[in-house]
This record gives sequence, structure tokens and C-alpha cells, in this order.
Amino acid sequence: MGLLNAELRKLLSLRASLVAAALCLVAAPAVAAVNGNALRSRVAEGGTGPEGGLSAAERGLEGVMFAVVAGIVLGVVVMSSEYTANDGDVGGGRQIVATLTGVPRRGALLLAKATVLTLVTAVLSSAAIATGIVAGQAVLGPFGLAPWQAAGELGWRLPGAVFYCVCTALIALGVTTVTRNGLIPLVVLIVNSSAISVSLLLSKVTSWAKYLPDAAGIPLFAGETAYTEQLPPLAGATVLTAWTALGLAVGAVAFIRRDA
Amino acid sequence: MIEVSRLVKRHGTKVVVRDVSFTARAGRVTGFLGPNGAGKSSTLRILLGLDSADAGTALIGGKPYRALRNPLRTVGSLLEGSGAHRSRTARGHLSWVAASNGIPRSRVPEVLDLVGLGDVGRKRVGGFSLGMNQRLGLAAALLGDPEVLVLDEPVNGLDPHGIRWLREFLRARAATGRTVLLSSHLMSELASTADDLVVIHHGEIVHSGPKGDVTTGHASLEDAFFALTDREDRWDS
Repeated sequence: MGLLNAELRKLLSLRASLVAAALCLVAAPAVAAVNGNALRSRVAEGGTGPEGGLSAAERGLEGVMFAVVAGIVLGVVVMSSEYTANDGDVGGGRQIVATLTGVPRRGALLLAKATVLTLVTAVLSSAAIATGIVAGQAVLGPFGLAPWQAAGELGWRLPGAVFYCVCTALIALGVTTVTRNGLIPLVVLIVNSSAISVSLLLSKVTSWAKYLPDAAGIPLFAGETAYTEQLPPLAGATVLTAWTALGLAVGAVAFIRRDA
Repeated sequence: MIEVSRLVKRHGTKVVVRDVSFTARAGRVTGFLGPNGAGKSSTLRILLGLDSADAGTALIGGKPYRALRNPLRTVGSLLEGSGAHRSRTARGHLSWVAASNGIPRSRVPEVLDLVGLGDVGRKRVGGFSLGMNQRLGLAAALLGDPEVLVLDEPVNGLDPHGIRWLREFLRARAATGRTVLLSSHLMSELASTADDLVVIHHGEIVHSGPKGDVTTGHASLEDAFFALTDREDRWDS
């Protein structure tokens, strides 16, 4: 318990946690509201509205992408902060020395980090989705649904979205445990999940792309996607879980075997 | 007690620690002396379970560091400064360190006062000087009131007052039967603090024993040190 307590304190007192919280609690509902507002104007002017309950309900799920990015930030920084060197003129120390002299059982330490990351990401992504749905549906006004109706329509997609965020965060942790430096994983993973999806590009070339982690995970929450071919949700969840386990396993081997 | 036995560490093809053996006994301050790059930190990193040895053992109280449960209650250490993340406060840093080893929170203000950081406990570490960072590292080492202290270049950045305080503090720790292992490249520092000396050069132990034995036949510890390490240089060439 002491170990989990220590790791939770470390994670929550990092500035990255503040960034992640802002993404989930401010940016996610704000974008859901902006998009909801645009949609309402279109419908009010006689354009095409949301077709059926699910499509309308999905207004809130736009916030998931912010939760994904928040999870990536947390997953990267929870490990990269250990290796950030202080300035040379104040000794150039790194936190990993304090961490590993306190807890030399590295497997247990990584497990504790993964556990608190899962916890914080799950809470923040749930909050992002909940506030996104409330804000998005409220702005839709007469065309929107009551939040509980929207949640009912979404059903398994709600835990699916949280699961996707947690898995992405854990993969980010695994990758950063190997690289030790946070910059490259942060840029690559965030760009991949928000701007240019490598999986999406590859899916134009090969049908194997649907087995890549983000492509496999997207059916867990998104109704319509840009992918022409994707796995059914349960298969996608299984594939995403396998990627997560692989990422953590590779990270664990590197973490346990290498010198600090 | 610390027992290092036939320790070997390679970085690639370079041997940085070569068959190093020494003992740091309870009730004594053992000085670990050598020029920069001699292998002091590499040896201490293995002793503290941070790096793995290519051969040999390093035991604290008969156990390798990685086998200790709540190690901070047995061994306090200072390596690379405090290691506190710059965005944390001194208290925040010590709080998580204490939590990780089941050390009561009440120790945090106690050790901050002890090292003279009582007034800046709520300041962020990013604004700390080298000396303050060293003090914070010392505070972390003392959190668990450990039986054994392992300190790598602890006087780095300390002002004369702090150096004097540390010397007396370590002498007092040893006087109560605890083990203190202290590395330095400064002979003057160890001359006044250590009971026993272990001299390392080019990764090899060139002398170990009571301080008096090392200096016998030399005008000062400094002369003894250069005599020991110069001999080593000639062997190399």
C-alpha cells in the first residue's frame, strides 16, 4: 500500500496531471459543446440532423480523443519524469535513483506505476466522457437527449472508451520505460492519436492494419470511423489488450534488466 | 556492516570496477577515496542495487540491497544529489519517499529541520542551489533513521558551516555503533572524518585499512594518496 500511495503522490503532484485534468475536464466538454452547437444550427436551418438515437448520443464521445491524449501524457510522464536530470550545476540528479533505492523490487515498482496510471486515467477519461455528454446534449437543445438517455444509447461504448484510454496510457508507459526519454513517445503517440493516424494510413494499403492497437481499439467506442475495415468490438478489445500486455512486458524486461 | 567482495563492473569493453573488495565496519566512518572517474560511484551504485555487477557481491548486513524490504529503514544513501523532481516541493519529495517505505510522515519535518531546510520545505526544488539539493538528499537518507549510511561526495556544494556540521554528524552516527561509508575525491575532507580508508584508483583498490596505516611513512594523507595513485599510473604505462 505504501508503494501505491507513494506512486500516486508522485503522479498527482506532476504538472502533467494538471494538463491531463484540463484536457479531460475543460477541453473535452468545451469541444463537445462547440460541435453540438454547430450541429444544432445546421439542424435548425433544415440541414441533416443526427440520424437515430446513437448518432445523437455520440455527440459526447468526441471528448474521448482528449482523454486519450491525457492518458498518453500521463503514461509517458509517469516514467520520463523519473529520468529527467536536474541541472548539472545542482548535481544533475535524477528521481529514478531515489525511487529505486526506496523500492529496489523493480517488477513491483512498475506494477505500482501501471496501477496508479490505470486508476487516474480511468477516473479522468470517465469524467471527460460524462462532462462531454452533458455539455454536448445540453447544447443540442431540442434535438439532444437527456444525459441518461444518451448514456443508455451508448451502453457498452462508455466502458469501451475508458478501456481504450487506459490501454493507450499503459502502452505509452511501456514505450517510455524503454526509451526513458519522454519527448519522442509523447510526440509520436499524440500525433498518431489526434492528427495523422499511422494505422489509418496503413489501412489503405493492407488489411492487416486493423490489428494495430489504435485501429483495433476504436470500434470499442466509435460508431462511424474512417476505417473501411475494422474488427468487431470484442475482437478489437482482445487485440488491444494483447498489445497493452506486450508493451508492458517489453517495458518490464528493460526496466528490470538495465542499470538505473 | 558493508562487505564488498571481488566486484567487477564493465561498461562495454571498459572495466570500470576491477576485483574490488573492502569492508566498512559498524561503529566507524569508512572513507572511500579516489580521483574522479576512479570507480567510486560505480561501486556505490552496485552496492545500492541500482546497477548490476558483472561479478562479485556487495552486501549490507549480509544481504544484497535488492533483497532488503523497506531498505530506507536500514540504509540511507545519497547519490547524484537529491534526485527530487524540480516541480516538487522539498516536503512533497520527502513525503513520497517516506510513504514508499512505510516511514511516518512526522519524520519529514524532523529531517528537514535536521539538515537546515526547515524554512524552505514548501518551496519547489527547481529553485534550490547545489548545497540545498545536497541537504535535501541528506534529509532523504536520514528519513528512515538507518543503521547504515552510504554517501557519495556529500560535501559537494555545502558551505564550510555545512561541511563542519556534516563531519560532526557522521562522527556522532559512527560513535553510536552505526556504519558510515563516505566517498570523496577530497583528501582533506576524509582526513578529518574517516577512521578507515579505502583508496580506489583506475577501478582497483590500491589500499585499505585504518587511516593511520595509509599515512604511515608520508607527511600527510595527501602525500600518501599521491604515492598510492602515482604508483598505479606507472603500472599502467
